Amino acid sequence: MAIPPIAALEIGTSRTVVCVGESENGRVKITGTGSYPTIGVRKGQISDVTQARTSVETAMKLAEKQSDVSIWQVLLALSGGHITADVSQGVLTIRSSDYVISRDHIEEVTENAKEVHFDADRQVLHTITQTFTVDDQPGIVKPEGMRCKTLKLNIMAVHGVKSRIENAVNVAKNAGLDVVDVAFSGVCAALAALTAEQKRNGVVLIDLGGGTTNYIAYSNDVVVALGSVAVGGDHITNDIALAFNIPQNNAEELKRREGSALIDTENAAERITLKNAVGFEERTLSCKALHTVINARMNETLCVVRTRLHEAGVLPHVGGGVVLTGGGAYLRKVTELAQRIFGAPCRIGVPVNVDGLEQEEQPAALCTAAGLVLYGHMTYEDRGVLAPVKNIFKGLFRR
Amino acid sequence: MNQEQQHTGLLLLGVGGGGCRLATSVRAAYGEGLRVLCVDTDAQPLRTAAGAGIPTVLLGGSRLSGHGTGGDAILGRLAAQDDLESLCAQMQDARTVVILTSLGGGTGGGATPEIIKALHDMGLATICFATRPFAFEGDIRAKLATRVLPLIEETADSLISIPLDDLFSDAREEMLADAIQVAEGLISAGVTLLWRLLTKPGFIQLDPERLHAMVLTGGNARLGFGSASGADRARHAVEALKSCSLLRKGDSLAKASAVMLGILAGPDLRLAEIGEVMDALRGHAKKGCLFEMGTVLDAQYEGRIDLVALSFESWSAAVNQPAPTAKDAAPPTAAEPPVADTFPIQPGSRRSRVKGSKLSFGATGRGKFRDVEPTLHEGQDLDVPTYIRRGIILER
Repeated sequence: MAIPPIAALEIGTSRTVVCVGESENGRVKITGTGSYPTIGVRKGQISDVTQARTSVETAMKLAEKQSDVSIWQVLLALSGGHITADVSQGVLTIRSSDYVISRDHIEEVTENAKEVHFDADRQVLHTITQTFTVDDQPGIVKPEGMRCKTLKLNIMAVHGVKSRIENAVNVAKNAGLDVVDVAFSGVCAALAALTAEQKRNGVVLIDLGGGTTNYIAYSNDVVVALGSVAVGGDHITNDIALAFNIPQNNAEELKRREGSALIDTENAAERITLKNAVGFEERTLSCKALHTVINARMNETLCVVRTRLHEAGVLPHVGGGVVLTGGGAYLRKVTELAQRIFGAPCRIGVPVNVDGLEQEEQPAALCTAAGLVLYGHMTYEDRGVLAPVKNIFKGLFRR
Repeated sequence: MNQEQQHTGLLLLGVGGGGCRLATSVRAAYGEGLRVLCVDTDAQPLRTAAGAGIPTVLLGGSRLSGHGTGGDAILGRLAAQDDLESLCAQMQDARTVVILTSLGGGTGGGATPEIIKALHDMGLATICFATRPFAFEGDIRAKLATRVLPLIEETADSLISIPLDDLFSDAREEMLADAIQVAEGLISAGVTLLWRLLTKPGFIQLDPERLHAMVLTGGNARLGFGSASGADRARHAVEALKSCSLLRKGDSLAKASAVMLGILAGPDLRLAEIGEVMDALRGHAKKGCLFEMGTVLDAQYEGRIDLVALSFESWSAAVNQPAPTAKDAAPPTAAEPPVADTFPIQPGSRRSRVKGSKLSFGATGRGKFRDVEPTLHEGQDLDVPTYIRRGIILER
């Protein structure tokens, strides 16, 4: 079955990214990307629909040109502090005479587990199957064919505030796009950047976005925790702007050019000269002070994630390492800082599970969009762990 | 709201327990027609104020349930952020807001900078009377006050800091328990005098416009007052003003670049007496000092003269001095660093005010996140820069 090209849209706080991907020899290849600075989004949430729409249209045109397809249906990545996950349990008593678990039993217990009622204003984005408990034996991934009396299943429901999800969808709609499915950014980034071995050994992926920091933790191939903190690179920029009394765009440039997540002992005494607008005299600021401001924020953000993982009780199981994605991963020495905070090896994650992005300058920043293309392919084939699925991908594109 | 209030556009705002007490006593001394608002995190002082017919706003009600901050300035700041909207809604028709606060407490120290910043962002002129705690109140309160003053200085158009210790520099005999009350009495008398000057029609009026203009360029100031009655009352009143410990026994007047002087007297005030007062003060002040003067005639002042003075030590520096270069770490030279020996002004903070305080982002607060839903984590607002919440002092 040939899968048509799939387009993924991420309306990030700092950049809007569109990725188009096609299936090639069983792997997904990104054939076109478009990226454009976002206006009108703060902390991952749409604050100005008209401005955000312009960014979407521009990014889409760039991707269309590169991939040579015309996009009218997309998948949309979502993030924001409102997105959280809850685990619920389904229980089923096996009544058949031989006590053997069949496919029907699994479906029934899955339905049981999904019967959780959320507030009317919340919308479920994903239900992720964790593990089965077969009588007293927990941690079973494939119980079919085993014998037991009671079968239990843990399911993680990822959900967010309905109105905010609709706002994001409306931006895409206003840009003339049909949104066929939405997915949590953290899930997408993990699909693109984590290998099967990492997921088995236990790993935390932290997506350092402009307005939000998303995280997702795997242990034994299972998603054990995920969430989103509404603090991101924009906060670093804002902190710098306030600390040194400079405009936001200068602060952003300063962060990219001179920023460091650790306080640099080598050039602590150095001073950075600020380029100023005409008519003002030149100013300098302490390199150490700049790094102190960034370090305080970055340290805090990673510690908030660490606290969340600790509260979920998964911290001991993710010793396999920390993978950083998103534009924030390119902040100097941020991997060293994360290594200190989590006490585990840390590296920048690139979209290893897709092809075609090898030439990109900052591939970690494309993990979410690339992962979303992958998500589209998986749900299209209907084989993914990320369960289902509005499966109406027919005629997704016209060439 | 009556005609008088609308005309002046003045509003007196008491922040925190101390500020509310001051505002209440000013209102009691002045009487009706004074527009006052009291805000605090603690419901108790607000009840007292409300009893006196003063509108109130409880800060951080959802966070602290009206129990105060317990001296925690961070809680004070968060509480102010919670309720800035309802506070700002009370500001309709105001142009100049006079803030009374006592630093050292959680609300006074935490909420005041936040509130002033919000008012400043609304385009209102702000004059902040801030008392600094007595030395005997302890290091923690003193340290908090020292830390907060530069933050207020950054956004307030005019800061009048009143070190309570100065009030009693040579009278150490007061009972400890009385000291605060006496100090508050004196300050509220001074503020009341100033207020009468601005709102009651007089012989030579000191109108709110001139105050507005003066505070917008004035920077930091000191408040002093003196009064005398009987024969030779003009001379004695000037002597009393000059010996006022808040003006450092006239030292501040001698150094001032601009003085705003109010004369309050009964209808029996003679022209010669005004001349006597002005001559005496001009003789005392340095050459080229700008005097703005106004008088209020009120029957209840029959037989006496009250003087109230705001001395702006750095006034002309702000207008006439070329801004020093960035490398010049020394503060402006002509006007000595106004009150540098009572609280540290970071080199350059005055300069940044002069150059464009309206354009700059404040030193505290949420910056670009000011109008989005806060991200809260363990009681902290993560949109406020981490280094501020952690109290990290940055190398400049």
